[in-house]
Amino acid sequence: MEFDFSPIFENWRYLRDGLLITISLSVLSIIAASILGGAIGLARVYGPRWLAGVLAFYVDSARSIPALVVLIWMYFAFPLMVGISLPPFWAAFIALSAYIAAYISEIVRGGVLSIRSGQTRAAKALGMSQNQTILKIILPQAVVRILPQYGNMLSITVKNSAICSVIAVPDYLQNSGIVAAQTYRPLEIYTVALIVYIAMILPLTRSTDWLYSRLSHLGRS
Amino acid sequence: MSRMDHQRNAIGKPPIVTYNNVEKCYGDFTALNGVTAEVNRGEVVCLIGPSGSGKSTLLRCTNALEQINGGEIIFDGAPLPKGENNVRLVRRRMGMVFQSFELFPHMTAIENINCAPVTVLGMPKREAEELSYSLLKKVGLVEKAHSYPSMLSGGQQQRIAIARALAMGPEVMLFDEPTSALDPETVGEVLSVMSDLAGEGMTMIVVTHEMSFARRVSDWIMVFDKGRVIEEGRPDNIFKHPTEGRTKEFLRHVGVEV
Ligand SMILES: Nc1ncnc2c1ncn2[C@@H]1O[C@H](COP(=O)(O)OP(=O)(O)OP(=O)(O)O)[C@@H](O)[C@H]1O
Ligand SMILES: [Mg+2]
Repeated sequence: MEFDFSPIFENWRYLRDGLLITISLSVLSIIAASILGGAIGLARVYGPRWLAGVLAFYVDSARSIPALVVLIWMYFAFPLMVGISLPPFWAAFIALSAYIAAYISEIVRGGVLSIRSGQTRAAKALGMSQNQTILKIILPQAVVRILPQYGNMLSITVKNSAICSVIAVPDYLQNSGIVAAQTYRPLEIYTVALIVYIAMILPLTRSTDWLYSRLSHLGRS
Repeated sequence: MSRMDHQRNAIGKPPIVTYNNVEKCYGDFTALNGVTAEVNRGEVVCLIGPSGSGKSTLLRCTNALEQINGGEIIFDGAPLPKGENNVRLVRRRMGMVFQSFELFPHMTAIENINCAPVTVLGMPKREAEELSYSLLKKVGLVEKAHSYPSMLSGGQQQRIAIARALAMGPEVMLFDEPTSALDPETVGEVLSVMSDLAGEGMTMIVVTHEMSFARRVSDWIMVFDKGRVIEEGRPDNIFKHPTEGRTKEFLRHVGVEV
């Protein structure tokens, strides 16, 4: 068996473009999912009961549907419902964000609830309002506590971004597939793909773990 | 009780907190069952009594961390207000110190102290820092200004917590077993800060199991049992001549010879 990595060098620009799509889809999705998930998690703890109920339903549903099904629904079904068609990249962005947000909301909710009630009592006793207590006292500690799980979500987001290739988003996996088909070198090209995903994800989880080991005392009340 | 009220009012200090038949229930359970008592300005009042008798509950009702179900609590001439915004205005005027310190772990000692003046009172940062340093000096921890709570001993954490409460310029300080979570060797440093505070004329309501502190520092003692004040009086009277059987029982239980 002979290895020939030349197709990768010959097509590096094309693969790089795919990589950039994977990275931008992941980054945009994780930002949107963090904002959405954070808001949902907080609303479930501090919001009115009816809202918490609606959001619990959303979170449970999103966690019960495979990411791939969410994506396909977003691309093929959602446009029929609202009457506009979505470009594949943005369909993938919305699907991935909505999917990851459900998990992040659970992490945020757990983090907030893990901070003992004495902290809230101390803040209130100093005359702080509910909002000041959440923003200045509870959230900073919760953010530290959830770092390891959040790092996990970063890696899950990057990994799950690969499913966007089923709706022909030209991401790293999609472009690798095209190069593999044209050059008849799937072994080399997909092996490099494995390595590229590891190279993207490992530093993410490692650095959040490192950050956590440096900061964990700030969340220990 | 009239005997003791007569002795107590000899100083003629006006009341700052008055409890009128205060009731507090948790579900079916009655934690406070008609507490009637008074705390005067400048007094140190110690609440003693068996576990579960409602001492912490009374403190939490005093700064409206808990809502009462009956009776009234009058602070500086006005009943505790209703509604979160009005309640906050009252809470600023009371400081609270907890058994478990409850310092904010993500803030340094000095940030713990100046956080509330800046956030709640809108005090300029510079002024708040100056205030914090003067309070750190008062509790003897200037050199720990930039330490995080996780790097401080229990006694040091509790002294910072006292400074944090003082930073709001409270008219009353509420202490809920401030030394119960401490190693024996650090209890003294916290009690000495509290004694200094009492010496400066701060009004203090202190839940404590430190009987020698209660005896030495307090002006008035209230004995709790089953959600009521069963006996109150000057420390000497309570410790030497308790009248209630349950007071005697409690004092024997905590190792005081009566
Ligand atoms: N949030 C709550 N929910 C239900 N019951 C409560 C709550 N807080 C206090 N209680 C009950 O009210 C009673 C009085 O409690 P409290 O904490 O005031 O007692 P305490 O005198 O401070 O006792 P200790 O010396 O153990 O601190 C206890 O029986 C307790 O179980
Ligand atoms: Mg208690």
